[in-house]
Amino acid sequence: MKVVRLLPLIALSCLVAAQAHAGWQDTINNLMKPDSKEGKILSGATQVLSSSQEMTYQTECTVGESLALDSMQRFGKPVQNEALQKYVNLVGNAVARNSQRSTIPYRFVVLDSPVQNAFAAPGGIVFISRGLLNVLDNEAELAAVLAHEVGHVAGKHALKSIRRAQFLQGASAITAATMKGSKGQQFESMVGDLQNTLFDKGLDQGMEYEADQAALETTYRTGYDPGAMVSVLQKLKKQEATSAKDGSWFSTHPPLDQRIAKLSAQLAKYPSAGSAKLPARFAKYVKPAKSGKASK
Amino acid sequence: MNKRALGGALLLLALCAGQVLGAEKRWVVSEGTTLKKEQSVSAANVADLPVGAELTLVEGEGRWLKVQTGDGKEGWVYAGRVSDTPPVAEVGGGDGLLGDSMQKSQINTAKADSARSVRGLSPETAAYAKQHGTPEALKKELDKILARKVSNNEVKAFLKEGKIGEYAQ
Repeated sequence: MKVVRLLPLIALSCLVAAQAHAGWQDTINNLMKPDSKEGKILSGATQVLSSSQEMTYQTECTVGESLALDSMQRFGKPVQNEALQKYVNLVGNAVARNSQRSTIPYRFVVLDSPVQNAFAAPGGIVFISRGLLNVLDNEAELAAVLAHEVGHVAGKHALKSIRRAQFLQGASAITAATMKGSKGQQFESMVGDLQNTLFDKGLDQGMEYEADQAALETTYRTGYDPGAMVSVLQKLKKQEATSAKDGSWFSTHPPLDQRIAKLSAQLAKYPSAGSAKLPARFAKYVKPAKSGKASK
Repeated sequence: MNKRALGGALLLLALCAGQVLGAEKRWVVSEGTTLKKEQSVSAANVADLPVGAELTLVEGEGRWLKVQTGDGKEGWVYAGRVSDTPPVAEVGGGDGLLGDSMQKSQINTAKADSARSVRGLSPETAAYAKQHGTPEALKKELDKILARKVSNNEVKAFLKEGKIGEYAQ
């Protein structure tokens, strides 16, 4: 374990040695900046290392599916419109396959809830509410919201928020048989903590900014308008005063002004020429849903 | 553990090597990525690039990048399919991942095609639902969610129809 903790230091030493001919102080400074090339390389390396100490993907899926059941109990069932659900899955998978975690299957679900919210369960089930979908005007904005949630799955943010859970001490696998014992009680307690974090308290602000950045990067790389995430946040800002807060993006996410400012500062690096917004295709699938017409 | 730590050290040294040589590196993050002869999605394929493959940047700053593979093949790759950091490594059951290759440690990429990973609730989720008294209707809804099919070919056709990314004109 101690050896593993030393490895990032070895990486740091390598980076410093490699650039000893000039600018090594800049390199050290850049290591502390997550957006710098050096910071990204170190972060990527430590991410690969730390993943060896995390729960398995199979257990992550069980956590995610359990949370999905609970979230439908709280926010409502999926909208009964197969064409809409398929469309949202196509947009979501388009961005997910260009994310930092593209090798797991993702599912995207529109929940029949007026509360403006979107959240991701560990393992790749992503929810967006009818209320939030109705705020959006084009496919790029939908892609940005879904890419933000995929960013949470890729960063394993929900799991990191409960890393001190008793379930994760020692062997942290769950089976149908062990679900009935003390391990099962620990598992349920952990899922309860996750619900509290995702639906009420919210994730750390740093994780939200990281997911915003991932949304900007992933929507741009897929070919959608990179400014879409900013326009979504600006639309939410206009509605903030009159919207329900309980269990919504307003109560679980950082202040919109801060998010808009941070993302706007990044936008200059992402030229929007040639990028897609696709309002017409979005309207084709979402407008019938808005007016309550289900196309099965 | 020692084997794992050694593997980690080697990985980090490999990452640093790119810095030493001053070569810009990119990693494939998207399944179904191909190296193209020209800067176009319709150009001839040079090679298939698996997720996690490390590439050396030769030239390019726009939507298409000229890159070289580990075995010396040169060609163009759509910029959206690569990242300047390695993709997230997955954790399999049993022993850790650092003694294995990046490819083996990832979830089998076939699973990323949700058309090939259709299944009902896992026994563990079913046990959780039973203990919680989750209504049958919600279990059926989750079943439907997990069974919803989106293939990589459908995503490609969807992007093509919208003239998005590598299909933009």
